[in-house]
Amino acid sequence: MTYSIIARCPRTGRFGVGSTTFSMACGRRYESARPNVGISKSQAFYLRYVDPLALDMLAQGHTPQHIMKVLEADDPDFDYRQFGIIDRESNVIAHTGPGCGKWAGHTVGPYYAAYGNGLAGPQTVAGIVSGFLKQPDAPLEDRLLMALEGGRDAGGQMSKGIPRPERSGWIRVIDRLDHPEIDVRVDLHDKTVAELRRVLEEFKRCRGYYEDRCRHPSEAIPEEDFASRSAAKAA
Amino acid sequence: MTFSIIARCPRTGQLGLATASYSVAIGLYSDNAIRANTGVTLTHGFPNPRNNHLAIALLAQGHAPSHVLSELLANDADGDYRQIALVNREDVAVAHSGAKLRPWAGHRIGKGFVAFGDMLSGQKVVDAMATAYEAADGKGLDEQLLAALEAGRDAGGIVGKQGRLPERSAAMTVWGSQRYNEFDLRVDLHDRAIDDLKRIYTDYKPSIAYYEARAKSPRNAVPAMEFADMLKKQKETT
Repeated sequence: MTYSIIARCPRTGRFGVGSTTFSMACGRRYESARPNVGISKSQAFYLRYVDPLALDMLAQGHTPQHIMKVLEADDPDFDYRQFGIIDRESNVIAHTGPGCGKWAGHTVGPYYAAYGNGLAGPQTVAGIVSGFLKQPDAPLEDRLLMALEGGRDAGGQMSKGIPRPERSGWIRVIDRLDHPEIDVRVDLHDKTVAELRRVLEEFKRCRGYYEDRCRHPSEAIPEEDFASRSAAKAA
Repeated sequence: MTFSIIARCPRTGQLGLATASYSVAIGLYSDNAIRANTGVTLTHGFPNPRNNHLAIALLAQGHAPSHVLSELLANDADGDYRQIALVNREDVAVAHSGAKLRPWAGHRIGKGFVAFGDMLSGQKVVDAMATAYEAADGKGLDEQLLAALEAGRDAGGIVGKQGRLPERSAAMTVWGSQRYNEFDLRVDLHDRAIDDLKRIYTDYKPSIAYYEARAKSPRNAVPAMEFADMLKKQKETT
């Protein structure tokens, strides 16, 4: 059980992934997003090597549609996989095999895909999409977070009729550089999506300071001074 | 305001790192830090986020760690502010602690590993990390890395202008022979980040084999909830 959104920001071209699940440490999967190439994020009964393979094929010039056919032909258990792929032209494709259980499904939009398995129902995916579309002018990372919040508020995950908590979550945004702009994680928490918001907001308060400190270290103020100033401002 | 260890296990060839910092989400700077069968690197102090990718690319081309280090410094007008460590697949380890890092800053190089940090309570922090890493030999690289972090914290950790600063974020990663990590855990914002990392690690470790097995053989997989309940029961009875 997991629900995710992958997207390419139509304004900036940045790629982003937001994901939350019952399993721990879902954000360990850095290999699913590659700068200037795209995102391939698999889940349900996923094999770790599939995302790098799909991204290699994207980088070679294959379309997401073709990649899906290749993955299917190469996998006797394709019925158990769920994934979404988006390329740098915003071509999107998603797959939910019938073996992914109830309820599982996806919605593909013009520059995003929302999908999940072990969900309360189609309302979870609808909640992800409406959260994502709520503030189209917001930065991509905020939209991804609103998408996860929308999925949670619409019912989130469920198995055997019992709601299941999100225990880990992840938001990653990449631009043209080899290192990500944003990568925040919650690996094990009983209110993961709320904790992810807390971490993302604090990280965004620090982000400008961190970037300046890397670029112009000789002008950087001590971080403990920055932290107390930023706390005073917040109060 | 960060202390870290990077290492290669000479028995398994696994590459790994563990890091803890006063800064939020320090794991952001571990991106691209490891490539299987190539090496591990980190740049801290005043990080240079482009360094990891470049360092790994140079190691992959076949350059010696000492050459890679000098390339990174030549490529960077602010090398005095950087702290850089590298270990390659032959267990050759090198490090640089720039003269303008906030004190105490330094590193200790061992066989296939580097323990390093800045704004520490003293040399004793990296010494304790090295000793703990070596003492945990045989327990697995993940355990060794975590032991090193805990020892660094217990030896005095990070110190700012007003005294001891908490570790607010931490991360650990281990790679095997694949194109993706075997182990990758993070704590991005917490009052006691290393304690929380240990908590997550303890819960997470027993599930690794389960998640691998269910993907390879989905038709026979035990549902995730049943597996989680089983683990919970085991934990309660032990």
